[in-house]
Amino acid sequence: MNRKSKINLVSISLSLFSTVLIFFLLILIIGKDPFEIFWLIYTDVFTSGYGIGQTLFKATPLIICGCGLAVCFHASLFNIGAEGQLNAGSFVIALVALKLSFLPFPLLLLICFICGFIVSGIFGLIPAYIKVKKDVSEVITTIMFNFIIIALVNFFLVDFFAVKSTMRTEKILDDDMLFKLSDYFPVFNGSSLNAAFLIALIISLLTYIFIYKTKIGYKLRAVGFNETASRYIGIKTDKIIQFAFFLGAGITSLTGINFVFGYKGFYELGFSNNVGFTAIAVALLAKNNPIGIIFSSLLFAVMDYGGLSINQLVPKEIMLVVQGVIILAILSTDRLVNKYYERKVG
Amino acid sequence: MLNLTTLISNNINISNQLTAVEFENISKRFGKFPANDDISLSIENNTVHCILGENGAGKSTLMKILFGMYMPDSGRMKIYDKEVNFNSPHEAIEKKIGMVHQHFMLIEDFTVMENVILGDEITKGIKLDTSGSKKIINELIEKYNLGLDLEKKISEISISAQQKVEILKLLFRDSEILIFDEPTAVLSPLEVEEFFKIIREFKKSGKTVILITHKLNEVRIISDRVSVLRRGKLVYEEDNTDNNLDLGKLSRAIVGESNISETGVKVKNISSFEISLELKNIELYKNKVKFIDRLNLQLKKGEIHGICGVEGNGQNEIVDIITGIEKNFTGEYITKINNISLVPDDRLKKGMIKEFSIGENMILKNEKVNFITNNTLDKNSDEVIQNYDVRVSDKRAQLGSLSGGNQQKVIVAREIELDNDILIFSHPTRGVDINATVFIHSKIIEERNKGKSILLISADLDELLSLSDRLSVLYNGKIIKTFDMNDAEIKVRSELEPEQDTEIIKPLYEQIGKLMIGITN
Repeated sequence: MNRKSKINLVSISLSLFSTVLIFFLLILIIGKDPFEIFWLIYTDVFTSGYGIGQTLFKATPLIICGCGLAVCFHASLFNIGAEGQLNAGSFVIALVALKLSFLPFPLLLLICFICGFIVSGIFGLIPAYIKVKKDVSEVITTIMFNFIIIALVNFFLVDFFAVKSTMRTEKILDDDMLFKLSDYFPVFNGSSLNAAFLIALIISLLTYIFIYKTKIGYKLRAVGFNETASRYIGIKTDKIIQFAFFLGAGITSLTGINFVFGYKGFYELGFSNNVGFTAIAVALLAKNNPIGIIFSSLLFAVMDYGGLSINQLVPKEIMLVVQGVIILAILSTDRLVNKYYERKVG
Repeated sequence: MLNLTTLISNNINISNQLTAVEFENISKRFGKFPANDDISLSIENNTVHCILGENGAGKSTLMKILFGMYMPDSGRMKIYDKEVNFNSPHEAIEKKIGMVHQHFMLIEDFTVMENVILGDEITKGIKLDTSGSKKIINELIEKYNLGLDLEKKISEISISAQQKVEILKLLFRDSEILIFDEPTAVLSPLEVEEFFKIIREFKKSGKTVILITHKLNEVRIISDRVSVLRRGKLVYEEDNTDNNLDLGKLSRAIVGESNISETGVKVKNISSFEISLELKNIELYKNKVKFIDRLNLQLKKGEIHGICGVEGNGQNEIVDIITGIEKNFTGEYITKINNISLVPDDRLKKGMIKEFSIGENMILKNEKVNFITNNTLDKNSDEVIQNYDVRVSDKRAQLGSLSGGNQQKVIVAREIELDNDILIFSHPTRGVDINATVFIHSKIIEERNKGKSILLISADLDELLSLSDRLSVLYNGKIIKTFDMNDAEIKVRSELEPEQDTEIIKPLYEQIGKLMIGITN
């Protein structure tokens, strides 16, 4: 194992450890028994097929969205706009699925993916274009675009496509739904876990290969590490930045398939439940490694589902606090560990 | 080599006054690179002392040590005959030392007044006592004739006025020892006059001034004493009584005496007449400042065309224009060759991705590789390690963890392996150890002998003289003279032994040294 991955491993474990510690203290302050809480989470999440299934189901959108963000983050583009981007894409996916329902399912799915990808991608391309041409920070533009996109989706949904007095589209045909994993593995009976989870795993694998094994992925990371050097080395940095944003935002559009094709069968405003923001933490925790993102997504899913099971004892919002603490812990331990190793070496 | 001791004139003690600053055997290393090497230097009270030297000679490092920004590795420092140990600029300021940096440290959106009092505010309770400070500042402006409007914002005033604000900051803090890092670089000739008036005023009121500069003419006018640093060592000192400095000796001390055999490369000339690249009447403005001025440059096949000049006279801009990074120039750029290799001047900033391994850095420019496996990476790094004598313990280690010389070899390898017809080497051996230097020089010659066109930019005159077929002197964005190194007179020296060498080469060094600072006659 090289030095870099050693540093990463140490800093991740350190931040997780300190998070658990703070969680522990928090529960003590609330006046409950931390061990009881931990036991409750453990039994609910890990001891039944249903619990595991629900956790995997909740991890699915995080994995997909986290991979999209990882692409941007590797290019040092801090995309805070995934929430908007994925809503635009998912909305389009649901619409296309409704309009083209006469097509055979695999073809339909493919066309939906492409359309959603392009729409989200374009919404990612706009901040990239503004950044490249006018040097405006993508952090600002992507945050603002969240509001713009959600408002636009709201407008089109309510005025043209929504089922009366709801905030959702019509339901797609039952034939066009992804299969539930419990159809093949009865152990997951009752949970909403579906084939979108497998798609998420494939996306994560493809993203990994793209980032670490292809030439363009290498160039993208080079730009992220050192834009000036990349330009002098002859990489067209502006194009790479735009491409990274298009690809990253495009991938986030697929976040919606878990809900649309795997769960409810329609697009509903607010379905994403801030996945676009949570996924930032997920990607950060995994150091933007797409395979690592699978695991950090699982951790966040455990917290999410575990939050429901402890709701009877402590408010489930405590899990939001824990997620926040994780981000702070990663950011601070990272520097600490890096400094420590620097001193040790030289 | 001339004996250095003969160069260092006797230190005439001006008076029995205190010594303002005394450096005793100061050394400072960055990694393996000695920025200051056993420097002993004293600066007398109430004098203007100029410190000269090429970029990277160690002037700024020495001043940063004096100002408490760096700690010396060894040696002692005395201020007014009392030994000091600064841990931060704050402690230096307390000892009444002030510094005006090359890049001003002003807050654009604050007024002159706010900038001056920042960090040293006079207060009444918790409230700023602006009227009290204002009175003091106005008196200072009056006394030194600075002519500043306290209510103007920094962004609204000229560069020379901003410099005066920096000066005012020091005066407001009662600084007695004032350090200026290349103060006249940003000023027009008239403004320089004005600046010198202020300096003379300082001297009258008993202050000590240390000037870091490149410009010899100005040194003659303003200084009382001159010290020259080269490669981190103090190589020359002279008193400037009656403004009769020997500029020839000075310029030679700055660019260095020759020791050409060091590189161990024999020049073999096969230059042809075929032109591979031509710049005609190129002009370049950035933010309305002229960087390149009607520049003409021809690059022939099979030649090494050296560019010498004080840094910041347009070297980087020429590179940016030729490599296509800078596009907003006027004039003609004629070439049939699309791909140009570049070994940039700043390898960490422009040449490599330090987080990537050797192999990863190699494939960045390799268009044939599309899918990356550990195999391709290892193959690439193995090749470089073998053919370019790169010394590493782990071939998959990050490039940033290698020594400067090895990093540079990897970059040189990458650019040469591309097999482009034009290669630009910008400061190829800066901060590189002697073995890597010799190796890189031999590679440059090898490429030249293959018939490639090579543009060599360097601040090291020895390097340029030993490698170049033609040598152009760049001053203020313009090439003011081109030497053909195959000229009979110059050619002789490459066949001479180094000891005999000096007599013939000395006038050439002197001539080039003067050209580099704009003296053309």
